[in-house]
Amino acid sequence: MKFSYDFLQSFFKEKLPTPDDLADLLMMHFFEVEEVSKEGKDFVIDIDILSSRAGDCLSHLGVAREIAAITGKKLHYPASKPKEGKSRIEEDIGIDIRNACSRYLLSGVEGIKIKKSPEYIQRRLKTCGLKPINNVVDVVNYVMLETGQPLHAFDAEKIEGNKITVRFAKKREKIVTLDEKRLELNENILVIADQQSSVGVAGIKGGIVPEVDKDTKKIYLEAANFDSKVIRRGSRDIGIRTDASLRFEYGVPCQFAEIATERALSLLAEIAGGKVMKGRLDYYPKKEEERSISFEAKEVRDILGAEIPLERMEKILRSLGFKTRRDNSSFLVEVPFFRKDIERKEDIVEEIGRIYGYENIEATCPEEPVVVSHSKEKDDIEDACRELWRGLGFSESYNYSFINNDDAEFYSKQNLLEVEKPVSLEFKYLRPSLLPGLLKNLAKNEKNFQEIRMFEIGKVFSKKREGETSEKKRFSAISSGDDFYQMKGKVNAFLEKLFEGSISYSPEDKEGIFKKGYSANILLKGEKVGTIGEVSEKAKNKMRVKSGGVLVDLDFEKLTQLYKERKIYEPIPKFPSLIRDLSVLVPKETDYIQVEEKIRKSGGKTLKNLTLFDLYEGDEIGKDKKSFAFRMHFQDKGKTLSAETVNNLQEKIIKALDDVSGWKVRKK
Amino acid sequence: MEKKDVDKIRQNFLGELEKAEDVKARKKICKRYIEEELSSIFASLKHLSGEKKKEVGIAANELRKLIDEQKKSQKKKEEEGERIDVTLPGTRVELGTIHPLTELRKKCERIFSRMGFVIAEGPEMESEWYNFDALNFKEDHPVREMQDTLFIKQEKREKLSSREKLLMRTHTSPMQVRYMEKTKPPLRIVVPGRVFRNEATDSSHEINFYQIEGLMVGEDVSVANFKAVIESFFRQLFEGSVNIRLRPSYFPFTEPSFEVDVSCSICEGGGCSVCSRTGWTEIMGAGMVHPNVLESANVDSSKFKGFAFGMGLDRVAVIDHKIDDIRLFYGGDLRFLKQF
Repeated sequence: MKFSYDFLQSFFKEKLPTPDDLADLLMMHFFEVEEVSKEGKDFVIDIDILSSRAGDCLSHLGVAREIAAITGKKLHYPASKPKEGKSRIEEDIGIDIRNACSRYLLSGVEGIKIKKSPEYIQRRLKTCGLKPINNVVDVVNYVMLETGQPLHAFDAEKIEGNKITVRFAKKREKIVTLDEKRLELNENILVIADQQSSVGVAGIKGGIVPEVDKDTKKIYLEAANFDSKVIRRGSRDIGIRTDASLRFEYGVPCQFAEIATERALSLLAEIAGGKVMKGRLDYYPKKEEERSISFEAKEVRDILGAEIPLERMEKILRSLGFKTRRDNSSFLVEVPFFRKDIERKEDIVEEIGRIYGYENIEATCPEEPVVVSHSKEKDDIEDACRELWRGLGFSESYNYSFINNDDAEFYSKQNLLEVEKPVSLEFKYLRPSLLPGLLKNLAKNEKNFQEIRMFEIGKVFSKKREGETSEKKRFSAISSGDDFYQMKGKVNAFLEKLFEGSISYSPEDKEGIFKKGYSANILLKGEKVGTIGEVSEKAKNKMRVKSGGVLVDLDFEKLTQLYKERKIYEPIPKFPSLIRDLSVLVPKETDYIQVEEKIRKSGGKTLKNLTLFDLYEGDEIGKDKKSFAFRMHFQDKGKTLSAETVNNLQEKIIKALDDVSGWKVRKK
Repeated sequence: MEKKDVDKIRQNFLGELEKAEDVKARKKICKRYIEEELSSIFASLKHLSGEKKKEVGIAANELRKLIDEQKKSQKKKEEEGERIDVTLPGTRVELGTIHPLTELRKKCERIFSRMGFVIAEGPEMESEWYNFDALNFKEDHPVREMQDTLFIKQEKREKLSSREKLLMRTHTSPMQVRYMEKTKPPLRIVVPGRVFRNEATDSSHEINFYQIEGLMVGEDVSVANFKAVIESFFRQLFEGSVNIRLRPSYFPFTEPSFEVDVSCSICEGGGCSVCSRTGWTEIMGAGMVHPNVLESANVDSSKFKGFAFGMGLDRVAVIDHKIDDIRLFYGGDLRFLKQF
């Protein structure tokens, strides 16, 4: 809110610090000052009043009270005892409060002469960003800025009948506001009505009908307190937010109504030549109880970690409007009515702490014991992955946790979690996979890079059925610089290095983001942990990827369970190994894994290592054939193998292979 | 043996030298010619006489001189060593990169680990209860709406309890309660993670971003302790003698609440454009844990107290790397990512 420096000064006889110095003080002891700027002879101090203090500090009086506490200067608030005329308000009009209103205070002023308000009022209004209009309207606004209580003035002669009612609007009830907006209301919106129609949207905006204009002679002044939820909802429904509605939304202390009323009546009597009508109509069914809090000085010192003297604590609280009673170091304080935010002793600690100044609290190392955790740190595994893939040439990417309609086509809609009212359709669903993001990364980088290698570790979301949602961490990578087998080699190296268990692959036949016939399930210890495969044509088209690439998608939580925490040493072989090569001719459609399994089974434990060093297809061996060339390492833990043993083993392997129909070993 | 035979040997020698691959091979050739060819020439001299002997003798001596010179020069070359063009470019190895937000998060984690903090992680999709209720956000308080919360569509949502209503967490603070439900004080944790706000994206706002949350609870934890811990953290993070200051603020889940400012690391407090000429940068929200939050996690608030803080990592990274658009973090542009 914008505050007028001149307005704030008016509460003090002593000179206040300069606007900049004052702003610094407020910043360190109260709230953040957004800006100090010159406005004519005055200065604007723009303070970010947070919701906890909106009740009492969206007002110059509230902030002046803070200044008094911070600087130790004495605050003077003008006493208001307006002289009253003879005519009585209750003979003129009545009030009927039906809904959502905890106080309604109505007063009247007769014999008003509408003119410009005094220069100081106009100036201060302008500093605070309000436009001066006439003396009555200006006083209404000025007193709101001063006390924080929104007021409203009706031209009494334009009110039909002799009763003002506060009620919810009827369905489709219409009203024209002071700024001539036509509104259609609903049953959730509170209105002020005379006996003919509504004359204002309660707490938000006045109606045009009883507008105070140049001919106004007599007014009714409303100082009310409306339910904050009702005002917030109403304000949202009609799309109007005003200085008044803002204050009601946060809640205004009920006691402000009479302070503001008396202050406004005094000003109207003084500057509009009005006669205040005798009596007040006051609907105020439930008065707040006084609240007091007791605490020990030690509690304050323990929380702040500072030895603040007792007298200092007492002085701070009194300057903020608390009544204090102290028995040695035990305090009993009465909370001022305008401080609805103070509920418990921790709130008192804050008051003492901030006025005392956090800068005066000396930093002290904690003496609390350190408890060391022994749990497996997920984080370490993540970092090991990151380091490894970085070494393989992959760059880490962070993508949005959301996908749009296009991306969603690759997934079944009933498993997607949808966002309520997203700011953009790009963020319609929670991502069920990291792959759409990586494909977009690929498309984006294609024009600048030949080989793109990227990965991401992040959370993905889905639901199995209504009410059953899941959030899982995944690891995914994309490469346009590797073919399927190069990428598979990298995945293997990664899994071998960091995780326990045997790695295997099985063909994956679903077409989606992965291309059918070019993708495989990745299994660790026989359990599926992810997928590897080329990008499908459909995915390329949808994501506008030109070159294509290979994708890897892994369930990070499953991997975490198989993380190699401790490596067990295996003795270095003492005896030499013997090497034999062989190649085998098989039909083209035979999967490699079948051949490998056959060799391993026949080779037994002595076959330590088996590597494929050549794959050949060509006319010389027949169009429907292919040839695998293997190198076999034989080794025994306990003894040196004889050539004879190995030759026999090799023969056994050859026989096993030759026994399969269509397979033929071609010895070297 | 005639002179032409010697000349032939001489040619062979030169031919072999030329074909030899390196100094070592050339030296071998020299050795072989001295030991085998020359000695047999000189041996054959004794069978010759007269003009012929003189002729062959001169040729043989010249050959010996040539081989000796070659031997010497090869030896010299060997001592000097052969050279390659070391200024040619090496075979390029393309390393990957780690995201700058990961690097920053790791750095923060390392610092807090050294101070005895445990690193914890919480869910990104939260219940309304953990995100708001448990953290002392009053029902229907405007603060709830100001968080620009991303709610998840659920059937009959209005009938669900706040423990069932789902949203994307607006801060990492729900983990305060989640952690304390499982682990009783004394405790020190930091919780890094992704958080969400449903607001339009621009150069300084993103729909998702990162925070690091801290929590220290015990029987004797004070504002003075918070100052010491956080000052030490920032001095390690910014590798210099930065100062901190606490200003009053308001958060529902802390009381008292502060904003933490650090002296601007760029102008060292002198005032520059990064700190809007104030010499200070607002960097963190913090405070003493509100007793209601401790009670939410069934921790006895009459016995235990603590401090909590939350810092936006994106903002620190932006300052640290002088990045002018926060969206670069989530854009996946390798021209950006490869710089880290």
